Amino acid sequence: MHSGLIVDDAMIMRMRLREILAKEFNILGEASNGQEAIELYPQYMPDFVTLDITMPLVSGIQALQALLSNFPAARVVIVSAVGQKQIVFEALSLGAKDFIVKPFEPERVLKAVKRLFTA
Amino acid sequence: MNAEYANIFIRCAVDVFQKEVGVHLTRKDLVKKSAPVPTQPISIIVGITGFIRGQVVYAIDSNFAYSVAHAMLPNRLPVDIKKVVNSAISEIANIITGQASIALAGGSGKIDLTPPVVLMASDLTIDFVDMPTISLSLISEIGVLEINIALADEEKAGQHA
Repeated sequence: MHSGLIVDDAMIMRMRLREILAKEFNILGEASNGQEAIELYPQYMPDFVTLDITMPLVSGIQALQALLSNFPAARVVIVSAVGQKQIVFEALSLGAKDFIVKPFEPERVLKAVKRLFTA
Repeated sequence: MNAEYANIFIRCAVDVFQKEVGVHLTRKDLVKKSAPVPTQPISIIVGITGFIRGQVVYAIDSNFAYSVAHAMLPNRLPVDIKKVVNSAISEIANIITGQASIALAGGSGKIDLTPPVVLMASDLTIDFVDMPTISLSLISEIGVLEINIALADEEKAGQHA
C-alpha cells in the first residue's frame, strides 16, 4: 500500500483528506504548515504528499520548492482554494503532479493520487 | 470600490455553502461602510495582497459556526469541538475567498491570500484597514453570514493604508 503525508493548515481539511485517502492509502502523518512538511518528509519518506498553498510560516509553494529541490522524486498533489491560473501554472511548473481546487469531490482526490502510481 | 467585487463574493459564497455545507444563502442587505468592522460575534479575517489589496472580514454567530462544522464533519463527534469549529469556519472563509480570487485575478493577474484568522468579539481591539467597505448580509436556515469586503486595486489601496 502506498503511503502519504497530508499538509493543510485547516484541521478539518486534514481530517477530511485522511478520511478519503485512508481507504486506499497508508497515511503516515499530517503537517499544518509548509515548515512542518519539510521537516516531516525525510522522516516519513511518503510515496505522495497532498499540499495546501495558503498556510502560515512557510507557504505551500515554498514547501514545494524545498521538497523538490531536496527530493526530486517526491510526488506532490496540490489541494488548494487558490486556483488562479498563474498559481496553478507556477505549481505545475515547479513539479507538482496535479492541482485540485477546493471545494472538491472525494473521487477527484482519490483519482489524482491513484494516477501518481499508474502513469 | 468596484461593485463587481460584491457580486463575485455573493456568487462564490452561495456556491461554496451549497457544496460544503448544504445550505442555500440568499442575499438580504448591502450597505457601505468606512471599514470592514464586523457586527457579529465571530469574525474570520482574510488579507489579500497583489494587484488587488485589502481585507475580507466574514462574521457569524456561534450557532452558525457550529452548524458549519457539523455539516463539514457529519460522521463524527470531534474531541475538541472548539478547535474543529474554528478550523471549519476558517476553511470556509478560505475557500470562498480563494474562489473569489480566481474570478478577481482573471487570466493574467495574481492575488495572494493570508491564512484566515478567527477572532471572537472580545478580541476585537484589532485595527481593521481604513478602506471603503461593502458589507453584505446573506441569510440562510442556519443564520446570517456577513461579508465585509474592503478591497481596492493596488494604487488606490496604498492611499488608504
